[in-house]
Amino acid sequence: MFKRNFTTLTLALIPVAIAINIAIGQLIVLLKLPIYLDSIGTVLVGLLAGPLAGLVAGGLTNLIWGLSGLNPTYTPFFYVAAVIGLLAGVFGALRWAKKIWLWLIGGLLTGVVAAILSAPTSAIVFGGVTGAGTDLLVAALRASGAGIMQATFGQGIVSDPIDKLVSFLIVWLIVLALPVRLKARFPQADKLPGETTVADSWDA
Amino acid sequence: MTDAFSLYAARPSGLHRLNPLTTLALVGFCLVAGLALPGPWGPYAVFLLVLLLAAWGQVLPDLLRDALKIALPFAVSVFLIQGLFWTGGTPVVGLGPLSLKREGLLFAAQSTGHILAVVGSFLLLSLTTRPDALMRTLDQRGLPKALTYVVLATIQIAPRFQAKANTILDAQRSRGLETEGGVRQRVRALLPLVVPLILGSLIDIEERAMSLEARGFSRTGEKTSLLVLPDSAAQRIARWLLLVGMVAVVAAALTLGSR
Repeated sequence: MFKRNFTTLTLALIPVAIAINIAIGQLIVLLKLPIYLDSIGTVLVGLLAGPLAGLVAGGLTNLIWGLSGLNPTYTPFFYVAAVIGLLAGVFGALRWAKKIWLWLIGGLLTGVVAAILSAPTSAIVFGGVTGAGTDLLVAALRASGAGIMQATFGQGIVSDPIDKLVSFLIVWLIVLALPVRLKARFPQADKLPGETTVADSWDA
Repeated sequence: MTDAFSLYAARPSGLHRLNPLTTLALVGFCLVAGLALPGPWGPYAVFLLVLLLAAWGQVLPDLLRDALKIALPFAVSVFLIQGLFWTGGTPVVGLGPLSLKREGLLFAAQSTGHILAVVGSFLLLSLTTRPDALMRTLDQRGLPKALTYVVLATIQIAPRFQAKANTILDAQRSRGLETEGGVRQRVRALLPLVVPLILGSLIDIEERAMSLEARGFSRTGEKTSLLVLPDSAAQRIARWLLLVGMVAVVAAALTLGSR
């Protein structure tokens, strides 16, 4: 299944994308920004190489990052990351990236889905908290009578769509800036933003 | 930053000598039991089991230090939030206009137990199992080779990417990019840091793909590995028992919960 669906170029892309997720995720911690941006590589794979490749890149990011022992709290959320990659791939396949506003709507939708999917794990494994600043929101929601699951979801629905919107925007800008020659070699080449076919100079 | 993208600590222990699949089954059992065992104290019993296993693997200090460091912020948050804002609980300690509720504190204790059990299990695997050995056993058992490549390649390039990110950070700072100060300033610093990192690495991908092809990556057929992994009948039996144990723990938790 693996070999049949993925070209060698896609397989070379996935580890690089996962490393991008991790490096930028930690850069954000360094910059102390209230956002995660740890799925830029995943969204990029989804857009360039399709839903299945996005799913693999997302899921493996959390499994590898978590099981390396450097960030074990990420591992239980691997399925959320996988769905983020899958959705980016689906929106890409639907040619949503051809129009920036459609693509950004895709980002918002992905964020909503991520918030819904991560709430149960967050509530059951982590007691509904993240150990970070956004917990103030969980506190406020709990104080106003929301259940644990609702409060967790409330935290997610505020932070996830913004995070995915920014990630989708950055990916769009990057793909736009990629050399056409490279873009043209990926499976979803004809669905990418900007120029995607190489003008054949020999025909002229 | 880090030079190795793995916590693996080589020790001459029995746990390290196990077939990675057996360690995986052990960790799986701890995870399932840690989340399925009822009551606030069930997960702590599992965490204790993880600590005993860590002691056998001679990684107890490492595991304990990392697990506590990771669990602490969660524990503080969950005790404050669920303790203070539990709806309709019985107050035990009054703090001005607020009070800590008994039910909330019990829930927080259970959540902290879950976090310790889950994080502890994952750390046990990371500390005692070489990632390449784990992937090798999995691909012997039918996991696609391409997946093995993806995982091992990631482990190798991730630290180099972190170093690259730091180089870009330094380079942009030396050009006068403000990376400290207000949120707006730090947001504006984002693109000049992120874009060079990604564009630079994407350009390398084609070269990687060509080197893979040149080494027969997409060839079909049997391939020989240099890494030979020990396994034994006893370990195979132990893995089956652990699997049965997982089912038993879940079944027990379900029957206890339905009563």
